[in-house]
Amino acid sequence: MKWARLKSPWVLHFNSGACNACDIEVVALLTPRYDVERFGILLEPSPRHADILLTTGVVTRQCADRLKRIYEQMPEPKFVIAIGACACSGGVFEGNYNVIGGVDKVIPVDVYIPGCPPKPEAIIDGVVKLLKSIEGGEQSGKR
Amino acid sequence: MASADKILKALSDSLGKRIIQTRTLQPGKSYIQVQTGAHKDAVRIVLQEDNEAGVSAITGVDLGETIELMYHIRTCDTIITIGAEVPKKDAKIESITDIFPGANFHEREVSDLFGVTFEGHPNPKRLILPEDWPENVFPLRKEVSVANIPSKIGNFGVSKDEKHVSSEERLVNIVLGPQHPALIEPEKFSLRVDGEIVREVEPRIGYVHRGIEKAAESRTYLQDIYLVERICGICNACHAACFCQTVEAIMGVSVPPRARYLRTIILELNRIHSHMLLLGHAGLEIGYETLFHYMWRDRELIMDIMEALTGNRVIASFITIGGVRRDLKEEDVPKIKAELTKLKERLSFYKNLFESDSTLKIRTRNVGVLSKQDALKLGVVGPVARGSGVNMDVRRDEPYAAYNEIPFNVITYDEGDSWARLMVRLDEVGESVNIIQYALDHLPTGPYRVRVPRTVPTGEAIGRVEAPRGELFYYVKSNGTAYPERVKVRTPTFANILSFVHIAEGGNVADVPASFVSLDPCFSCTDR
Amino acid sequence: MSLDLNFVFRVLVFPGFAFILLFTMFCDWVERKIEARMQNRMGPIYTGPVGVLQPLADFIKLLTKEDIVPFNAKNFVFRFAPIVSFSIFVFSFAFLPIDGASVVSGSNFEGDLILVLTLVSIANFLLFLSGWSSTNPYSAIGATRVLTQLLGYDIPLFILALAPAFLAGSLNIAAIANKQYVPFAFLIPWTFALFIINLQAELEKDPFDVPHAETEIVAGYETEYTGRRLAFLKLAKDVQMVLGAAIAVELFLGGPYGPIFYGLSAVWYTLWFVLKLLIVVVVTEYLTCIFARLRIDQVLVVNWKLLLPLALLSLAVTVGVGLWLNPL
Repeated sequence: MKWARLKSPWVLHFNSGACNACDIEVVALLTPRYDVERFGILLEPSPRHADILLTTGVVTRQCADRLKRIYEQMPEPKFVIAIGACACSGGVFEGNYNVIGGVDKVIPVDVYIPGCPPKPEAIIDGVVKLLKSIEGGEQSGKR
Repeated sequence: MASADKILKALSDSLGKRIIQTRTLQPGKSYIQVQTGAHKDAVRIVLQEDNEAGVSAITGVDLGETIELMYHIRTCDTIITIGAEVPKKDAKIESITDIFPGANFHEREVSDLFGVTFEGHPNPKRLILPEDWPENVFPLRKEVSVANIPSKIGNFGVSKDEKHVSSEERLVNIVLGPQHPALIEPEKFSLRVDGEIVREVEPRIGYVHRGIEKAAESRTYLQDIYLVERICGICNACHAACFCQTVEAIMGVSVPPRARYLRTIILELNRIHSHMLLLGHAGLEIGYETLFHYMWRDRELIMDIMEALTGNRVIASFITIGGVRRDLKEEDVPKIKAELTKLKERLSFYKNLFESDSTLKIRTRNVGVLSKQDALKLGVVGPVARGSGVNMDVRRDEPYAAYNEIPFNVITYDEGDSWARLMVRLDEVGESVNIIQYALDHLPTGPYRVRVPRTVPTGEAIGRVEAPRGELFYYVKSNGTAYPERVKVRTPTFANILSFVHIAEGGNVADVPASFVSLDPCFSCTDR
Repeated sequence: MSLDLNFVFRVLVFPGFAFILLFTMFCDWVERKIEARMQNRMGPIYTGPVGVLQPLADFIKLLTKEDIVPFNAKNFVFRFAPIVSFSIFVFSFAFLPIDGASVVSGSNFEGDLILVLTLVSIANFLLFLSGWSSTNPYSAIGATRVLTQLLGYDIPLFILALAPAFLAGSLNIAAIANKQYVPFAFLIPWTFALFIINLQAELEKDPFDVPHAETEIVAGYETEYTGRRLAFLKLAKDVQMVLGAAIAVELFLGGPYGPIFYGLSAVWYTLWFVLKLLIVVVVTEYLTCIFARLRIDQVLVVNWKLLLPLALLSLAVTVGVGLWLNPL
């Protein structure tokens, strides 16, 4: 069962206020050079189908409860990966009006991937680290 | 044929006493301050004199007791600014949307951020700030500091969305976004549809609003470059270039020739990668996944070049005030040229595909048509305008960096449909490859950076750059301290959003993503 | 009545339930690999040797996820439509000869072609219902698109399926497959080509991908499903794919009947069936990769103004060919 979960992590990508740099690196993961389908990762359109939520960008006021709602719509077990300096802690926009901060101010985060933007190799590294920690039993994804 | 002097003369002739003062911001850019009620007539005169003119941006500046409103009009290869002041206590001014519909969103933004009421505006609702923002707190006014705005952490209720009342009962309300596979960014478009035909479109932007214009006022100029680059990751070099150009204009510094050529190279690389990104994304939107994968695979060639040049794949951090930050190594040049030649061969394959593939053409030909008149009235810029036959390109109209020394063509197509806009971008990729090759061949020697004074003298300036999505407009005002007084950014997608409403209404729901993607929206630019 | 162990074995294991399940997953892997190679990528490679176990991993993972039923959904239909649809598709396999004789070959039912095609339509309708009962606007649009497309391609499907029936002189699938000394695909190639195009529409693959238009309507009728039901919904789609290809193989490519070299005829029949089915799968997947997606109204134009008249025309021509071959 765990084997199946490790081999078929479906991701959902959500941008909660990013400048797009991290997003295009996430989309680049699907393209021939990086091709994450090798690992069984599929980009799913609906939150109800996904296991892992990839969020990019700092959380703005308007996006805050959308982010929360999307997180709640995902079925368990679910994991969250915060990609980029802005998602981790607010980045350059920390302290602006209309900005709440990093993603962990709204939803619990499992893996932080720093960078501005992180290279696709770094994102794959982060996802693999998450899978390894699921395998090791440290994360159960149940909240 | 209109010219700037003729327009200025016409203005002074008809307005006469109502002009308060005239000054020159920069060589070629005049500023005419008029009495508050006269601004509409002034704008009307300029638009009549040059029928290809358009309001490029509307800037608000807090001058203490008054708010200064500047109407920047793009005409005759330059910008003429009409200014009017309104008192803060009673900030009301007449709207110009009846003579220039494209000013709709600009005015809404100023009213959101400064609290100026535009009388006669057809839709004076909130644009950028969230629905539950406290009333009467206008962020860009100087007296409002970020610390005063109540924090929202901890109380996430269901956000109060404005109730969309549709004009007819049987229309179904479909909401596109904020989380939607078609848009990689969160924005909300409410479509009222009747069966499969879209009747009304109501965009709600502001989900990516990070308050950059206000943040720029509390960071030094050098820090602002990094802030402004992250308005949009895709066209980041253009934002940095425009900001630096504007600040250099205030300082009166001119950049060494080698730096100008290097800036040109990075700007064109930015253009190629952005266009290829969009063309692949267009493939994804119309269900053509194979095109998406092929295009992005070839785009990796450009990312390699950018990594060799700047050290980073996406955010270049290459341009600074006074020049560029690093030099191009001689041994990299042949490698870059080889990759560009490879890219050029692939381009002929794509050109053939776009011109002959039947399913692609069925989805994009005659879909989302924008006529030339509408394009001019709505004030659209960039490939959207050029796809409708409007011949505008800042690189040729007001050359910056090294564009006055490098020959290139401005691509226009007349059809005005989605296919035309995609073809404009495809051809522009070819042109950009030529520009980079020419620049590499003629790269001048010398310093790549010049020392600039530590403080920026008092002054103001306007800078324009042709970003991949169109004309990027910056207005910077300095008050002699280490921090800027005002940084105004008008991004190309902000000017183009209205065209989306125009194109989608009356069309098929299924065409909405296809026409939408051909407009190449970049919402992080729009919201700042 | 004693329990016929052979019959039970045939229903449950081979060529019944277990075989269909595993074969469906295998075909799903084939599809993903082809799509990946056409797009210059690699596709799944780490799950099992060459990634073959990927669809199995997907299925098991979905089974273990939390099950969510939306508040407003019509409970009964929402809960059961996926699995009933899946069951109907699997049941239809019982009429197709896979290893030489179909599972129900004992009964002398002569019209099982019509029965199978009707069952396929019913199962498709159930997929529509599963989207409709989700009461999510995206699901509703996706479901209506499924229905619109169903109305468009179902009639040409029946007409095109009648052509080989006419040539073989029977409505029994096993008999049609048996009569093909030369596969009908070579005798009436135009009908075969039209059938493949119709198959693309039935399986909702590009260019008729409209109900799945991810970028317009999120996940269409699958949007609100999670966990077990999503697993069965996806499996139902995959089984439909294999079933459609299997019908094409039976009607046009001669089913499992091919030259036997030596040994068990059942083994050789199965091998030929699998081979021919894989050919059809590869062809349909290839077509998917090279076309973009048509809009729903364009799909309707293609269905009603193109496919239907051409299907009627091809039937008329087939009748002519048939009469020429076996004069009345």
